[in-house]
Amino acid sequence: LKSPAPTKVLNTDLIERLSGSTVGGARFLEILSEYESIFQEISRLRELDLQDIHPAVIFEPTAPYRKTR
Amino acid sequence: MSERELHWASISQLRKWLDKGEINSVELTRHLLDRIASHDPKLKSFIYIADNALEQAKASDRRRMRSRQHAVSPMEGIPVALKDNYLTATMPTTAGTITDGIAFPMQDSACAERLAEAGCILLGKTRTHEFAWGTITPPVANPWDLERIPGGSSGGSGAAVASGFVPMGMGSDTGGSIRIPASFCGVVGLKPTFGRVSRHGIVPHSWSLDHPGPLTRTVEDAALVMNVLAGYDPRDPACQDQPVPDYASGLQRGVRGLRVGVIDNHFMDCNTPEVQACVEARISDLASQGAVVSHFQMPILDYGLAAIYAIELASSGAFHDRWIAEGRSVQYGPDVRTLVEMGRLVTAVDYLKAEQVRTIMSEEFRKLFDRVDVIVSPTAPLTAWMRGRRTTTIGKKEESVLAASWRLTFPFNLTGLPAISVPCGFDSEGLPIGLQIAGRPFDEAAILRCAALIEQTVGLNLRPELG
Repeated sequence: LKSPAPTKVLNTDLIERLSGSTVGGARFLEILSEYESIFQEISRLRELDLQDIHPAVIFEPTAPYRKTR
Repeated sequence: MSERELHWASISQLRKWLDKGEINSVELTRHLLDRIASHDPKLKSFIYIADNALEQAKASDRRRMRSRQHAVSPMEGIPVALKDNYLTATMPTTAGTITDGIAFPMQDSACAERLAEAGCILLGKTRTHEFAWGTITPPVANPWDLERIPGGSSGGSGAAVASGFVPMGMGSDTGGSIRIPASFCGVVGLKPTFGRVSRHGIVPHSWSLDHPGPLTRTVEDAALVMNVLAGYDPRDPACQDQPVPDYASGLQRGVRGLRVGVIDNHFMDCNTPEVQACVEARISDLASQGAVVSHFQMPILDYGLAAIYAIELASSGAFHDRWIAEGRSVQYGPDVRTLVEMGRLVTAVDYLKAEQVRTIMSEEFRKLFDRVDVIVSPTAPLTAWMRGRRTTTIGKKEESVLAASWRLTFPFNLTGLPAISVPCGFDSEGLPIGLQIAGRPFDEAAILRCAALIEQTVGLNLRPELG
């Protein structure tokens, strides 16, 4: 017996769960579709080898000790 | 003075009249309230007018009387507006949303506190594009052509200041939201350095990109307002404890010897011909006044849109996460709903790569600022477009007007550098064009000085006919 080919619905369901989206199936498909062009732009970041670059976000452990008014 | 002079007067001029007793704050406030009542139904720049505006003005006049022999604050008695994403204790805040179950506290943001402590009259709240997303700001109209958009997301403040309703309106800028409406409405818009002005009490859009700042009719007024707003506030984790200069001094020093940089890729290679020609003429003006103009390339800017998309979508998605889970985002406007709901799709690795690109970009600008004092460009590659228009063709490239509108402003949100938009001309349809000037971190003084020279050189009539 052949195992059934994964369906688009199943894949979408998995992506929805992985992303943690809470908007619900049909709406999630709409968002995926809308996101496609933005994703094309964002995915260009994957061309870059940035291994030696520290991200601009820097953890600052003294922040809670700042003086308050 | 005539009533016409009163509503077009700068803060600097109003201050002189108030100091000399030629007007008082109650007269000024009443005049502006009357003007808003007459004209704002067409423009819809205000969402809320303070019930107690005249009481505030009376209190200001009493303070002035009591301190007759002593100097009062330079902003004493000046009516101002706040964008509707700044919390205020006596006026409701909506952040431009009408979603059930979303309410914001009645307490003053740091900027509202500082303006009130300086004696300003908090006249009202101006409309914002919902949650400060977007560059259209419905339903606000552009005072230069009511069929056109005012820009956004601080479109209400842009329209209100340009219309002579208030001499200053606060805006917030995550990708260009102060500078774009300033450019489209023909006013000055200043995005200070990230950490220069406290964000405490502003409804967040993207924590590391949001910048508060003023929209005014003159560069000097922007400097005067910065004297009030700038300073440390431990309630904002990003706020820096740096010295605050007098921003209004040195504005008339001119630009002789100022090193002006022009980045030819990204900023100067995809603008409408009229915007390009106008900005090139202003760059020539700077050179003729003694500035030293140099041209550069910065290839990393090619990844800027990817970086800001990843950071802005992820950040906004995180801020709205609870409301999305509660089903409230279904009530948002369709554009904003989609943008906040897609935040979950940005992967953590892509988000961090965006933050790495940001590091590279900041370093590239630092190197550039070893060689120049300011960088100039158009504020936006186009002028205000007609309501409902979705795309534009610049050169051979067709793109969405929204994508085009923030292309030249978002690099300075990614890098946190100070940037100002100053009116520098009009296109053939009579619509304002803005020149953007960016500087080193905490060097707002240099960009104000350069902007002051442009303002003085072009001497534009920036008084739209409201009918």
